[in-house]
Amino acid sequence: MMMYGLIRWWDRRKQFIVPSLLAVGTAVWIQQTEGTIVYELYQRLVGWFYPDSAQHEQLVDARVLELQERLVELESQNEALRELIHGSPAPETKQIFAPIIGRGADSWWQQVTLGRGSKEGLKEGYIVTAPGGLVGRVTSVTPHTSRVLLASDPTSRIGVVISRSRFVGFMRGQGSNRAVMEFFDKVPDVKVGDVVATSSFSRLFPPGTPVGRVESVNLNASPAPTAIVELSAPMNALEWAIVSPHEPLLEVDPEPAPTEAETEETTLDREL
Amino acid sequence: MPPLYRWPAWGRQLLNATVIVGSVVLCLMALPLRLPGMTLLGIGPNWLLVWVVAWSVKRSIWHGAIAGLTLGLLQDSMSAAAPTHAVSLVLVGVLTARLQKQRFIQEDFISVALIVFGMAVVAETIVAVQFSIHSLRTPDSEAFLSLTEVWSHHQRVALASAILSSLWAPVAYFPLSHWWERMTFLEQRQAGGELR
Repeated sequence: MMMYGLIRWWDRRKQFIVPSLLAVGTAVWIQQTEGTIVYELYQRLVGWFYPDSAQHEQLVDARVLELQERLVELESQNEALRELIHGSPAPETKQIFAPIIGRGADSWWQQVTLGRGSKEGLKEGYIVTAPGGLVGRVTSVTPHTSRVLLASDPTSRIGVVISRSRFVGFMRGQGSNRAVMEFFDKVPDVKVGDVVATSSFSRLFPPGTPVGRVESVNLNASPAPTAIVELSAPMNALEWAIVSPHEPLLEVDPEPAPTEAETEETTLDREL
Repeated sequence: MPPLYRWPAWGRQLLNATVIVGSVVLCLMALPLRLPGMTLLGIGPNWLLVWVVAWSVKRSIWHGAIAGLTLGLLQDSMSAAAPTHAVSLVLVGVLTARLQKQRFIQEDFISVALIVFGMAVVAETIVAVQFSIHSLRTPDSEAFLSLTEVWSHHQRVALASAILSSLWAPVAYFPLSHWWERMTFLEQRQAGGELR
């Protein structure tokens, strides 16, 4: 009897239940794979409107090229000087140009989508810059696209330093083109127009990447003095970005030193 | 090609399923796009919300909830999964279905825009509440956003998203609602034919 009721219930409801389960199941699968299939499709569709990287070379205007050449010159000089001091050259980094093919898929996160992915050698944690300075960090990668969390997102916390006076603090995005820098010192030496760069305390970003300029300073803020930083990369007008490899230092704290008893035990073990 | 009413039932259902999946995919593709004239304060229309409203307006609460859940998970996959978008879109689906618009208002154009406007505000408020709960439960240094940041951001997002979504709603709503009306009409006609 109950079996019969069950079958009747199923007959009446299957029109609704089967497609529902199918829909939700597909959605869960897509969500678990971080939207890989959706972004790949998006890249195919939008890709038609973006020129290839070969054509891109022609699009970069002369001014940018000139600046890049100057930068290369300075970097090589810098490397030579570094070699003089430390005896070891800085590791060479390979940069990847990537078109920005999309913005955030909702209104709460400051994200962009790049049209290059793991097939082009991008990995999670790589650093994204643009003419002007820091843009953000790659947070997820599909074969041909990658998602970038912008420096202007409130969840982006970046260790930064005032280039002139070396006072350090951390910076949180405020949406669009602004960020708030909070100082560790009570009385920092900072004034409007100072250049802000990533500091060597930053775990996720390489030190010395330009970020922006100080727009205003509030020394009376509680609990620590703050400064509004205007990000120098034009986040809302970007079309191309440069991705450079970076291994984030996720473990900053050294492992707790083993206690004496433990060290004794391990040495004993080894002896035995 | 024979006219639609001559199609076998399974063929029509397949076509209907294709239209449903295709329209969802189009909405997903439109999410990261920011075309000129389609943004306000850097925020675009919430196409998935428009789709959920279009779907739920003439359907049952359960249909609305399932659509909201599915599209919410899809939006999670495209931005960030915590806090999930499924909660707000399920609520939007349920509320829209609960309104039972067709019983009270026959007119379509303005009423749907109004519903989308209201639902966009509701959806963004739910997200803001989720962010607030998160910030209350985690220590200050680890929270995504502080309470004041959440609610000042909410004002901008809710208003911009509501205005844009409601203005662009007809673009998604009209073709879809027209299609589904036709589908129901053909199904009823066929059911009537079988009875005769």
